[in-house]
Amino acid sequence: MASVIYHPAYRNYSFGDHHPFSPLRVDMMLDLLRELGHEVRPSAPEPATREEVLDVHSDYYVRRVEALSAGEDVPDREEYGLGTPDTPAFPGMDEAARWHVGGTLAAARRICEAGERRVLQLGGGLHHARSNFASGFCVYNDLALAIRLLARHGLWVAYIDVDVHHGDGVQQILYDDGRVMTISLHESGQFLFPGSGEVRELGSGVGRGLKLNVPLEPLTEGASYLEVLDEVVPAALAHFGPGVLVVQAGADAHYEDRLADLMLTTRDYEAVFRRILGWADSFTSGRVLFTLGGGYSLRATSRVWTLLYLLVNDLPVPAETPEAWRRRWADRAGVELPVLFHDPVSIGADVPNREAIARRNRNSAQRLLEAAMPYWS
Amino acid sequence: MLVRDIMRRPAIAVAGNTSLRDAYRTMQEHGIRHLPVREGDALVGVVTDRDLRLATSALAAAPISPDRPVSEVMSRHPETADPGDPVEDAARTMRRRKIGCLPVVQDESLVGIVTGLDLLDALLRMTGVDKPSGRLEVRLADRPGELARLAGFFGERGLNVHSILTHAEGAASVRAVLRVGSIETRLLAEELRRSRFEVVWPPEKPWPR
Repeated sequence: MASVIYHPAYRNYSFGDHHPFSPLRVDMMLDLLRELGHEVRPSAPEPATREEVLDVHSDYYVRRVEALSAGEDVPDREEYGLGTPDTPAFPGMDEAARWHVGGTLAAARRICEAGERRVLQLGGGLHHARSNFASGFCVYNDLALAIRLLARHGLWVAYIDVDVHHGDGVQQILYDDGRVMTISLHESGQFLFPGSGEVRELGSGVGRGLKLNVPLEPLTEGASYLEVLDEVVPAALAHFGPGVLVVQAGADAHYEDRLADLMLTTRDYEAVFRRILGWADSFTSGRVLFTLGGGYSLRATSRVWTLLYLLVNDLPVPAETPEAWRRRWADRAGVELPVLFHDPVSIGADVPNREAIARRNRNSAQRLLEAAMPYWS
Repeated sequence: MLVRDIMRRPAIAVAGNTSLRDAYRTMQEHGIRHLPVREGDALVGVVTDRDLRLATSALAAAPISPDRPVSEVMSRHPETADPGDPVEDAARTMRRRKIGCLPVVQDESLVGIVTGLDLLDALLRMTGVDKPSGRLEVRLADRPGELARLAGFFGERGLNVHSILTHAEGAASVRAVLRVGSIETRLLAEELRRSRFEVVWPPEKPWPR
């Protein structure tokens, strides 16, 4: 069984009704679990304090978030990535972001102070935020803050980012940290935001060889994704010997996602999550912290994260979705919701150059290992 | 982008009576391959690592001693650039003359140097990603106002365009590659298509729905 961290105040981290980073995604997930007969009993965290946020973020950045949050005008806000179309300012933004940080910090403390193994934070995952720059819907970097907290407690962290976008903020903040390995699988920056995450971004100083990136071709399907995941992650974990895994479980590598171009199905996500749980058992005595993240198709994201909840709690995956759930959310999701819980085995996509895509992904994984391994000996 | 924006300054230079041996050591110390040669402030030539190695090589018709001065092997009256030249002018000169550097001269004194690598850096700055951004590729009709229409699309939405590159594509169209400060390029692509732009990237996804 896993500890689950959640607070309804997470819902206040919302950029407006038409913004893709919607609190409805978790609402739908919690309702789906309820209708499936699972009583979700989360522990409530506290919002992170200003002091805690300052462990990663600069004071002048936090002051601007606070000012915008209080409705004040900040003329240079765009230099800090704030008040942009992606990350618009809204009243209460500072506190809403600190709730997500607080949840991820609480999840970390469950592991390093309370000695728990599996913890699922039903929020956070704001992996694009920099120490002084908001980016890609992310204001404060809960992941980097939690990873630093774990490392200070003597648990070396392997961070695994399966969000379809490069985990650039986490990587940048921890680039020279020798206690932290980051592994990001993402659609190549040649094609997708934020543009970084090349094989050659390997870390610096004592962190050299510990920052790993697998850029994937657009239209990458599950089989190729799992192949490179298997090639890179176990080898990297065996070298690094982490004490805990921190996983950003973005659901936007799903084929229905509106912002990206990978082709994973819910079945592929199940395989990814099962592997990660297995690696936690093999490498970190089962210690693993999951956060949510991106995911911009309501009907895909709600099912991917429901899957995550079921798997970390060793619960069975249902064959079908409850009718009441489908009825309740179809209108708000704007699409019909599927009767079968899983996507079909074949989604009938006509992917051109499937073999070439798989070959290029294989090459990327091999180039990464060749570049990183000299630092591992 | 002008030569003064990309040149290295000050240029590491030597005097004409410097020995080939010392000039080569200077290149190795600084990790460079080109040395302007000057007398006083005035530029009198350029010597490259290839000049030095060939002059002293068994492959040379008449090899000379490394103790000879660089003035004996340097190229005289080298092509130069002005700090105010556009970088594409510098690139064109270097390409046409097949040379690896241009000393930058202002008021008859040497103020900097531009090499092929500096031009590659300039290319990376113009095309590359230095901020989190998403990429869009749009095919435009090659006629006045089309690029303005595209720029207006982003301006109306308060979106910052970090870079824009265009190149001709056949006779009638131009390909524009943009990096915009947004994660939502797919949604922008849909809107662009509704506004009758031909979006090349990101493409529509390949399944029947």
